[in-house]
Amino acid sequence: MQFYQPTSMREFIELSSSLSDEFATFLAGGTDLLPRYERGQAMPDHLIDLKKLSDLYHINIKDDVIQIGALTSIQVIQEKPLFQSEFMALHMAAHDFAGAQIRHRGTIGGNIVNASPAGDLLPALYAFGAVLTLIGPDGERQLPIQDFVLGPGKTALKQNEILVTINLERTPYKSTFHKVGLRQSMAISVANLAFVYSEKNGVFDYLKIAAGAVAPTIVTLDKLTSTILDNTSTPEDWPLLIEADISPIDDIRATAKYRKQVVNNLVQAFLRRELTV
Amino acid sequence: MLHHPQPHTFQLEVTINGELVQREIPTHLRLLDFLREDLGLTGSKEVCGEGECGACTIILNGQTVNSCLILAVEVHGAFIVTIEGLADTQELTEMQKSFEDHHAVQCGYCIPGMVLTGEKLLDRHPHPTRDEIKYELSGNICRCTGYHKIIDAIQRAADDRG
Repeated sequence: MQFYQPTSMREFIELSSSLSDEFATFLAGGTDLLPRYERGQAMPDHLIDLKKLSDLYHINIKDDVIQIGALTSIQVIQEKPLFQSEFMALHMAAHDFAGAQIRHRGTIGGNIVNASPAGDLLPALYAFGAVLTLIGPDGERQLPIQDFVLGPGKTALKQNEILVTINLERTPYKSTFHKVGLRQSMAISVANLAFVYSEKNGVFDYLKIAAGAVAPTIVTLDKLTSTILDNTSTPEDWPLLIEADISPIDDIRATAKYRKQVVNNLVQAFLRRELTV
Repeated sequence: MLHHPQPHTFQLEVTINGELVQREIPTHLRLLDFLREDLGLTGSKEVCGEGECGACTIILNGQTVNSCLILAVEVHGAFIVTIEGLADTQELTEMQKSFEDHHAVQCGYCIPGMVLTGEKLLDRHPHPTRDEIKYELSGNICRCTGYHKIIDAIQRAADDRG
């Protein structure tokens, strides 16, 4: 296995293009990749480590948007006060993410590109409407996160394209995150939920809810939230509206029935708390 | 241990416990195997091999990481501290003494990782609450002690540092 550490985007693009017909893999934090090799998946002939691409660590704070470099570690997301003050759900997801050793090494970009249905940063990124910047041999393009993640482990990345920036619009909305796992830390989520909202006197004027680990990709509960926003549903309608957007499965961690119940409980607890119904 | 049908080598330079180490290594060698097999630094343990248990915890450029999830080639030019490098003399550190005083060690397999995680926690938060200690230790699994004595030991080490 040949190992490369390009230090500029130009170098990366030249290198990856020259290896187009080869078995090559890109490496970021490695916290999802190395366990696969440990379990017996074949290692590539060419491993391109992205960690020397220094531009991918920047966090740019602009008036209307923040741009997060894809190699920003989960620990930095957890610690940076900006996230706690403006993107609470993302901060909370990073706080509940694995353990310290993984947070130090794992990256926000890796969590997205890994495209796990249970990825813990993903519900918050969906609920905040994250837009992703990708760079490859054909140049730069932008995709909303829901168009980027296509299924478990599947993304819209083209050959030799990488995720470079996660763009989040700055809003006055409040947000929160809930995760249910078999253990508080170091456990893959049975269900995880992010809420982004604005509410006055018991009425929502903005509401977005994203749920993870209950469908092949993260889903937003748009049937529920749209009827709450235009005031066409009552609490009796909520369970069916919630279940209309999720399709959980039975697996080693939980049954589909349990996941449905957990999502229902968490969403309804949130709504009842905010609306005091 | 990872395998590759077509091994390539890499000239690695890395500072480990204050000493510059230069070795030719296979590119697919894990950092944990480099430390244990090539350098004989067997304080870092392998238990799960997939980043769940923290027994292979080391300090890489000032942060705790799982050395089973890193290839040795990735740390070219880096600074690493293992449990062997914690004290620069034969003396135990306050943290190690505190683990001993509190009988926080049973089989001992998780302890190097626990001690390093405790040390890094106190570097950043000299006076952690019990909950902060538990949170920081959540990536380190112990199957003997039930954690209480380990948490007591880190708490006391913090108190002793003042």
